Amino acid sequence: MLSRLVFVSGNALKSSGALGAGLVQASRSLHTSSQSLAPVPPLPETGGKVRHGLFPEELFQLLYPKTGVTGPYMLGTGLLVYLLSKEIYVINHETFVAASIAAVVVYSIKKFGPSVAAFADKLNEEKVAKAQEVKDLAMASLAQGIENEKKEQWRVEGRSMLFDAKRNNVAMLLETNYRERLHMVTNEVKRRLDYQIALQDLHRRMEQEHMVNWVEKSVVSSITPQQEKESIAKCIADLKALAKTTQARA
Amino acid sequence: MAGRRVALKAIDWVAFAERVPPNQKSMFNALKTRSDGIAAKLSSLPETAAAIDWSYYRTAVAKAGMVDEFEKKFKALQIPEPVDTQTNAINSQEVEANKSATAYIEASKARVAEYEKRLAKFQNMIPFDQMTIEDLNDAFPETKLDKAKYPYWPHKPIADL
Repeated sequence: MLSRLVFVSGNALKSSGALGAGLVQASRSLHTSSQSLAPVPPLPETGGKVRHGLFPEELFQLLYPKTGVTGPYMLGTGLLVYLLSKEIYVINHETFVAASIAAVVVYSIKKFGPSVAAFADKLNEEKVAKAQEVKDLAMASLAQGIENEKKEQWRVEGRSMLFDAKRNNVAMLLETNYRERLHMVTNEVKRRLDYQIALQDLHRRMEQEHMVNWVEKSVVSSITPQQEKESIAKCIADLKALAKTTQARA
Repeated sequence: MAGRRVALKAIDWVAFAERVPPNQKSMFNALKTRSDGIAAKLSSLPETAAAIDWSYYRTAVAKAGMVDEFEKKFKALQIPEPVDTQTNAINSQEVEANKSATAYIEASKARVAEYEKRLAKFQNMIPFDQMTIEDLNDAFPETKLDKAKYPYWPHKPIADL
């Protein structure tokens, strides 16, 4: 990353202004001004671009205006040839060790790199997901709590209805009582008057019956024995006559 | 017969039932059944007394003046209205209930403010993938590792991992 900074600042000094599309990352200038950047901008998603896994892209961009596309490769090749020919780098057995190790390392990273990266990302994501869950749960429960409180406040507003109902009940009871008293008075008066009438009727009926009985008794007692004998004789004579007529007919 | 109370306020039982919390539903049901019983009793009684047919009684009853006397006394009779002893108690209950209700609403509002503050804190938090560990410790103080109590990694009892 320091090399990147070197290239970038070198370019800025040269003021070629051809960084353009090559600069992928946001330039994080650290401690350049006295004001602190808060909140700190998030870390970039990916690292800086490199070519062949080692050489930062900025190098190629730096050399592009002067030497074109093949410039850095020529530089690299020339440097290598210079080192070998002048024996600044001596080829010995260590060279082969380094080459083998490099081959193995490159192969293994190419093969297992992505899966290891995915695994590490998964671990991180799990942590984040757990934290997110906690946060969501907390927010949901708070929102629910607010809802409940509002509902309870609304419920409390209806308290006057209870007292209205109670007062209504009291009024209804009083009214019922009053009406009952009213009806009771009326019924009692009616009962007394009806009683008088019934009493009168009873009197009349008793007098009537007594009179009838008395008349009957007197009539019966007035029938003297003489009259009785005469009436019985008349009855017998009549019966005889009747018998004669019926006998004659039959 | 004088005196008529018509102060019955129409009560919307449906709306009332909605406002009753679940733990007081049984009390509400008891109140409703009682009120309905009283109302039924009231409506079963006719409002005015049945009229007494004085002319018929005058001709029917033989005793002189009895009917007239009864009629005079009956017409002069004033049935006293029953005394209302409970309304004052109810009114004072209502005043007390209002007081406690306002106190409860105040407390409830304080709770709502508290909840809303916490909710705002959660909503204004930066997303987790942009947080550093220090940001996390600021937002959720319980995640802060006590480096003084457990100086060696992982800075918390092994059982808590």
